[in-house]
Amino acid sequence: MGWIPDEGKGLPPPGVVNRNSFWLGGMGWCAAMLHNAINHRPPLKSGVHRQVLLTTIGWFLGYHLTKYENYVHAKLDREMNEYMKLHPDDFAPKEKKTFAEIVEPFIPVR
Amino acid sequence: MSVTGLLARSFFVHRVGSRSVFTSSKRDTNSPNWLRVGLAFGSSVFLWSLLFKQHSDDVLEYKLRNNIN
Repeated sequence: MGWIPDEGKGLPPPGVVNRNSFWLGGMGWCAAMLHNAINHRPPLKSGVHRQVLLTTIGWFLGYHLTKYENYVHAKLDREMNEYMKLHPDDFAPKEKKTFAEIVEPFIPVR
Repeated sequence: MSVTGLLARSFFVHRVGSRSVFTSSKRDTNSPNWLRVGLAFGSSVFLWSLLFKQHSDDVLEYKLRNNIN
């Protein structure tokens, strides 16, 4: 793609069915139905070619948006992990206390 | 002759210098514009085929780069 550099092509591609596609395809469909409703046409039954075309455009854009989103998240994760490797002192694991050690003995006052 | 007076008088002057040839009619919803319908469905088919092709290309590229076969 145009906006994903070469390194991004090694990432697992999103499936054809993905969240952004579903949402944008649904938005396209709703846009077509709204267009029908505004022009006093039956919303679902009329202009099926418009509904199909707008849904398709939304689905297509959603797929590429998901690909770009995956790339951006992978890049951020890689940079974060590299920083954590360079500064291990800042990310030392905290020693954990069990609850039994923290809680004071219970002395009921009657 | 105030400006308002002149403007008020112009109401009664009918212009015959120009006429419009444009007519308007209500849209005929019973006969669909088959060219537009065909173009819409055709471009939908084109976009879907483009999407599936792009997806399979991406999967192939991913497998090649990570040596999964």
